[in-house]
This record gives sequence, structure tokens and C-alpha cells, in this order.
Amino acid sequence: MGRRILFVTTDQQRYDALGCNGGRIARTPVIDGLAAQGLRYERAHPQNVVCMPSRATILTGQHVRRHGVWMNGVPLPADAPTVAGVLHEAGYRTGLFGKAHFEPFLDPFLRFPENRMGVTRATAEDGRPHRGFEHMEFAGHGAAGLVHYGGWLREHHPEHMAGFYPVLDMTLEVSAEGGGDTGAPQVRHNPVPRDVYHTDWVADRAIAWLAGIGGNEDWFCWLSFPDPHHPWNPPASELHRVPWRDLDLPDGYPVDAAEREAILDAKGAHWRRWYDGNLVSNYEVPARWVPSTLTPDQVREVNAMAHIQNELVDDALGRVLATIEGRGWGDDLDVVFTTDHGEFQGDFGLLFKGPYHVDALMRLPLVWRPAPSSAVPADVVTTPVGLLDLAPTFCRIAGIEVPGWMDGLPLPLSDDAGGVHGRRGVLTEWDSVHPNGTEVHLQSVFLDDLLYTRYEAGTCHDGTEGELYDLAEDPLQRVNLWSDPERRSIRDDLGTALEDALPERSQPVLMAESPV
Amino acid sequence: MAAFHNEILIDASADEVWAVVAAAERQAEWFPGMVSSTVDGDIRTIGTAAGGFMVEQILLVDNDRRRFEYTITGPLQFEHHLGSIQVEPHGGGARVVYGQDLRPESLTYVLRAATGDALTGLKELVENGTTSRGYTGPAQGEGD
Repeated sequence: MGRRILFVTTDQQRYDALGCNGGRIARTPVIDGLAAQGLRYERAHPQNVVCMPSRATILTGQHVRRHGVWMNGVPLPADAPTVAGVLHEAGYRTGLFGKAHFEPFLDPFLRFPENRMGVTRATAEDGRPHRGFEHMEFAGHGAAGLVHYGGWLREHHPEHMAGFYPVLDMTLEVSAEGGGDTGAPQVRHNPVPRDVYHTDWVADRAIAWLAGIGGNEDWFCWLSFPDPHHPWNPPASELHRVPWRDLDLPDGYPVDAAEREAILDAKGAHWRRWYDGNLVSNYEVPARWVPSTLTPDQVREVNAMAHIQNELVDDALGRVLATIEGRGWGDDLDVVFTTDHGEFQGDFGLLFKGPYHVDALMRLPLVWRPAPSSAVPADVVTTPVGLLDLAPTFCRIAGIEVPGWMDGLPLPLSDDAGGVHGRRGVLTEWDSVHPNGTEVHLQSVFLDDLLYTRYEAGTCHDGTEGELYDLAEDPLQRVNLWSDPERRSIRDDLGTALEDALPERSQPVLMAESPV
Repeated sequence: MAAFHNEILIDASADEVWAVVAAAERQAEWFPGMVSSTVDGDIRTIGTAAGGFMVEQILLVDNDRRRFEYTITGPLQFEHHLGSIQVEPHGGGARVVYGQDLRPESLTYVLRAATGDALTGLKELVENGTTSRGYTGPAQGEGD
């Protein structure tokens, strides 16, 4: 009998979503309590800022260019090694509840096993574990989609299906339709009862699975909440939690349009072109939405909706933890909480995500409450870490040697331990090729409070541009130092550090088989 | 506008391959993930394994040039869509090119991958008589 692992992820959640990270809006007492008892990481970065590449990194412990899922719509190869497989081989019971997204969502011909499982509501792939998970039940971002939650909703609560915001429009683009009180994109007042909403469903399904686990068995449970990813349509009964009219505008939102646009102009060309509605570089944003139309009230309402979703996740996690405590597993339970990538939520006058390597999308919440029986002292860790470090961490918790195919390192238990590992910053990559011909390629390293991003040549950049921020003096990343002659040597050093750290790309390059 | 095509070589005469392609109601036999394909006049309705359907208008069945063209008309709202299948002799067998033009481009990667599968399915059907994954047979198909 060893340590059990509850791995909790949200989707598209900002660092400042949590009270323990200084967030002032959502009340997250459960996660804050875990942070107080355990380790809170102040610099956790994803290796890519959209779902599929980031989730593939979480599952494999590999850099994006090693597992090969270079953008949304590229399926993780069926034979990719996974940490769930390693744990299952070692005797762990393994389950995933909620959003997987290791394979494309948009799949009318059911080419992918996850979608076939979702449609048939099978919990395994033809009776076999899928990617190392012996039991999987999927949820996505609403009532639609080829997921177990959609089938359950259709069977038990068909009257609530139409209340959800449809993420895609009739051309299968991400919808730009506005709703709520302000007409903000992807916002809707959803009459669905709270206990029918997918956040509670994910917790319910995990609780049901845990009920079937023997008291002496080891287990790895991935609780993967689809929120607070858009659409922002939490149950209307919960809107009282965060009245949007009461919110201050976020620090990252420059209120003055001229100031906002000057900041964007100092970044790469793709920032301003998207803001003005002159560029669609990636499928994940509504193609027909123009960011410059975003109003301060829309920023407030989107933030309120996201924070309501954050609170519901915290509540649901509390229910799962109470169940685990009730089984007597608490003393040997490790809990790891994080997300796959961030969200602009109004920073720079933008929403959603894309090829923009700034804290809004890259600085993630990460909390690890080691099992109380391990007697790891609580700490705050400032050493930069990445989501690729999670899989090795799970191996370490389980007492398993970290496989050589994992690129990450077990998370440090303190800053002193981080130094011992000789970490040299954390990498994030972006590659996208839109069917409209737009190509963007970025690579970033965060090191010593400096954030360096180089742009490879694409359809927006000639390969000489980039971004450089000194977060010690510019925490909101408003001043791009890329062309500052006084920073040239630092820029060159960071470029060398990035080049040294990037692994070779796996060959052959995998094909995108869907937009998402 | 996005445009792409896939192609495959099949060990059968162009006329044999064309006979399958030109029979529009037989598409579900060789298109994996398509569970039914029914034809009423120049309208073909296909059922997908995910539980949806697409309505297509058949634009051209040219027996002389062995060319088939269609456009998706609903329920998806394309500004423009053209699908084409060209069969031509190649050595002792046949070469088949399956192309699509579409705007908006959202389904480009989905259709590129699916039509690649479909050409493999066509080859399997023509060379081995094997129908594709999800095909439910004419009885179920006609009832959809």
C-alpha cells in the first residue's frame, strides 16, 4: 500500500484565479487550504498555451517537440508512453474524469477512440485501458461534443441541453455570438441546475469510481474539470456569487485605448493585427470577433463568470476530498492541482488565447499537497517549473523510477532543491498553421525573472522579431525590451539558453487532423 | 478558401473503380465513419458515426471523364464547398484523386484526414471487397 494520487486540473485558468495566489475575486478555500498545508509554486509554466499540446505534455512528461502534438487537432500517437500507463503497470488503479482531449474533439466520422468511447459511453477502449487509464468518463465544454457527459445529459436532462452556449457556430468556427448582460462573446446565462452542470458531474463520476476501489489499493485519479474555459455559462443560480458590476477592472487591462494600442504596437505584429480584426492565426478564438470591440463591462462580466466557475470547481473538489477522507485514505493522499494553460480575461484588451507568450497564458496555478504521511514541510517555491515535471513527480510519489523518455524532473520541494536539479528556466513553444495559410512559430524561455520569446519566420514575422520582458521591473509585461540596445547581451544570452535547452523535433512531423 | 487533395493507386481498372465511385449511394461502403448514404434525385444524405448527418447536392457524374462532384449544403453553412473525385487509368490500375475546396476553412483538417481514410477504404472495397468501419448495410442505411 503506497501513496494515492488525486490529480486535479482545470482548463484555461489564470494564476490569479486562486486566493492563495493573491486572487481577490473567487473564493477558493479548498485549494487555498491545500496550498497552506503543502507546496505552492509561483512560476509554473505550460509547454504550450492551448489544450492538446499541453495535455499531451502533462500525460507524457515530454516537451511538445518530443511528443509531437504541436497544435490543437494533432492527435497524440496511440503508442505514446504515458505516466498513467507507468502507474497502471505498477499496480495502480487509474481513472480520468472530465476533459481528456488527447485526441481531437471535432470528429464527425469517429476516427478517434476517445470520441468512440464518449458516444457509446464506454469507460475503456474495447475493454482495454486507454492511454493507461482503466476507466475514463469524459466531459467537454457544454452539452455538445462526443463525451459521456453529453450522453448523460441527453438521457437524463434533455430539457437543459439548450441552455448551454454552443461553442461552435453553424460553420463550425468558434462562435462570436454575444450574451449575458453585456453581449460579451461566449457568455450566456444558463438555466441549468447546479447539480446537472458538468463541474458537479465530473466530481460525481470520480466519487462513484472511488467507491469501487478497495481500501488497500493504490490509485491515480485525474479529476479534469473543463471550466473555467469558455463558454462562460455557469448555472444562473450561481450568478449572485460574483456580481460583475461590482468588479474592478483587472490590473492587466489598460483602460485607455490609446495606451492599450501603444502597448500592443510595441509587441509583435500579430498582436495588433488580431486586436484590429485583421488576423485569424488560430482556431481557438472566434474568427468573427474583433478584440478592439471589447468593452470594460464585457471584461468585468467575463471575469465574473470565470470566477464563478472557479468557485464551483473549488466546491466540487471539496466534495471529492471529503469522500477520500471518509474512506480513510487522507493521510496517504497526494493532491496536485493545476491547469493546462491560462486565459487573457481582459489583459491587453484581449480574451481567449493564442500565440501570445505572456503571464496571462503562461503563469499557471500549481499546488502540491504531499501526503501528510510523507512529512514534507509546507513551502512556497519560486523556482520555475513546467507541466512536463508533473509526470516525473507522480512517478516519484509512487516510488517508481522516472522513465528515461520523460523530459521533466520531479517538482522541487523547495527552492534549495530546485537549485540542486540545475534547472535552467522553463520552455514554452507555439506552432500553428491555420488552414487560411497563417503560420506562427514562437519559442520562449523564462529564466531569472526574464521572459524571452523569439519568433521564427512565418506569415506574420520575418524571423528577426521577438519579445523580452523583465518581470522584476515590469510584472504586467507592458514594455517590450527586444530592441533595447542595453539589453542586447541579455537577449543574446537567453537566446543561447533557449537553443541549448530545446530538444530535437520528433520525426516525422505529425499531421493536424482537426482544428481542435 | 482552403483547398487540398488526397490520392491513391488502386490495383483495378479505372472503369471498375469508377463504377463504385459513380454509384453515389455506395459511399458509406468505403468511407470509414460514414454509416449511411442515401440518394434522392441529386440530393445525397450521409449519416456520420458521431450521430450527425450532412446533406450534399450532387453536381456532376461524368462517366466519360470519370469525375464526380458534389457540394455540402447543410446543415453546415459553408460559404463555398466543392468535393470532387477523379478516377483515371494509371499503369495497369487506377489513380484516384479526392479533392475539396471550402470556405470557411474550419473543417479542412477533418475532411483532409477523413478523405484520406476514404481512399484507403475505396481501395479495400475494390481490391478485397471489404466494407469500411461503421458501414451498417443498405437496410439500416436506407432507413436513416
